Amino acid sequence: MRSIIASIAFLFAAAGPVFAHAHLDRANPAVGSTVTPAPKEVVLWFTNQLEPAFSSIEVRNEKGASVQAGKAVVDRSNRTRMSVPLKSLPPGSYKVMWRVLSVDTHRTVGDFSFRVGP
Amino acid sequence: MFKNSWPLAMLAVTLAASTARAHEIVGNRFFPATLAIDDPGVTDELALPTVSMSKTGDVASFKQLDISGEFAKRITEDFAISVAPTWSRLYAPGGLTTNGARGFQNVETLLKYRLFKNDEHEFVMSAGLEIEWGGSGAQGVGAERFNVYTPTLYFGKGFGDLPASMNWARPFAITGQFGYSIPGVSKVVTATVDPDTLEQDIDTEYIPRVFNWGATLQYSMPYLKSAVVDLGLPDFINRLIPIVEASFQTPVSNTATSGTVTTGTINPGVIYTGKTYQFAIEAQIPVNRQSGTSVGVIGQLHFYLDDIFPNTLGRPIFANNINTGRPMFGR
Repeated sequence: MRSIIASIAFLFAAAGPVFAHAHLDRANPAVGSTVTPAPKEVVLWFTNQLEPAFSSIEVRNEKGASVQAGKAVVDRSNRTRMSVPLKSLPPGSYKVMWRVLSVDTHRTVGDFSFRVGP
Repeated sequence: MFKNSWPLAMLAVTLAASTARAHEIVGNRFFPATLAIDDPGVTDELALPTVSMSKTGDVASFKQLDISGEFAKRITEDFAISVAPTWSRLYAPGGLTTNGARGFQNVETLLKYRLFKNDEHEFVMSAGLEIEWGGSGAQGVGAERFNVYTPTLYFGKGFGDLPASMNWARPFAITGQFGYSIPGVSKVVTATVDPDTLEQDIDTEYIPRVFNWGATLQYSMPYLKSAVVDLGLPDFINRLIPIVEASFQTPVSNTATSGTVTTGTINPGVIYTGKTYQFAIEAQIPVNRQSGTSVGVIGQLHFYLDDIFPNTLGRPIFANNINTGRPMFGR
């Protein structure tokens, strides 16, 4: 039994840095929040570092129209952080859809909403 | 009551002791590995150990300790094979004054293929064939000498596609399985000789075909935080998935000696999901006298090998060397 436990411990020790899937850790505006004034950008923080070329964000209004002012960018100094600039947002509900590729090549997707108050 | 209840109890234990449990990500939804039934996930993982303690439904009832492990390996992205040995300790009625039994149950393997996956509706379905290899375990703990084949359908459905007016319900998800266990033999005949009268006694036990079915209802705090509303709760709370599992076995044919009573347990519990592992603990509440005589407990430590060894052990054997991914929005 000891040798089995030792073998398993060795295997996990030899795994090196652990990466794992990139899940959404937090966001600004926060998931499900109502904000005033309207945000200038959406910032997402993930639980793992991202591959910039294959990671993206899209923000849409209630009619399904895109409200981004540019492309999503992964922060070079903190590759768990990705942001996208927004157009001037009137009050309403907005949906943020993200799709990322973590540095260990796991793909994950997700979405959430926030509101801009009057 | 049956002439000898141990074989029946052992059959039930064997059928209920499946330890192949997976986890799965479908769109926003993370389906954790579950304990009482298998979920539809196809991935690389290691469940070690799974420990359960319960009291059987025999007359007289006895305590049973099971310690099991399960290793699952993807061959392709959608197809995996798993192996699951279980070591059992049976504490015989009468406690310490009588001998119990200990040893390995028959080894089980599971071939599972993901049939369908829809990110938008958080729906996934898989099909599997579980094989219990007869004669690979110790007869003292009830391991039979014949194989048992169990084709099974698995599904998972998250409720993230509910309208915004039902936001409170969106973290809910259900999973389920429907399997049909087919023993390799229809009956086992045992001949014994009475030492006093020298008369031969023939005991015939018919081995039933059994419908294995079950479901889970789970509420995902990770889902609530990342997809519905971030309430600013402590990180520990945000990693919990309260869950209720139900697992049943219903003999449906060849039931002359087994009877047709459905047995099973309902398991309320909670799963803690870490970055590369999860820990789960559940109570096991028997649904009737034949299912057990007291509430048991089951716990499991489970490792996500696809996250721990993403470039070696944790990826399919036959997969693209470079996972190119594809931008969702046309870049």
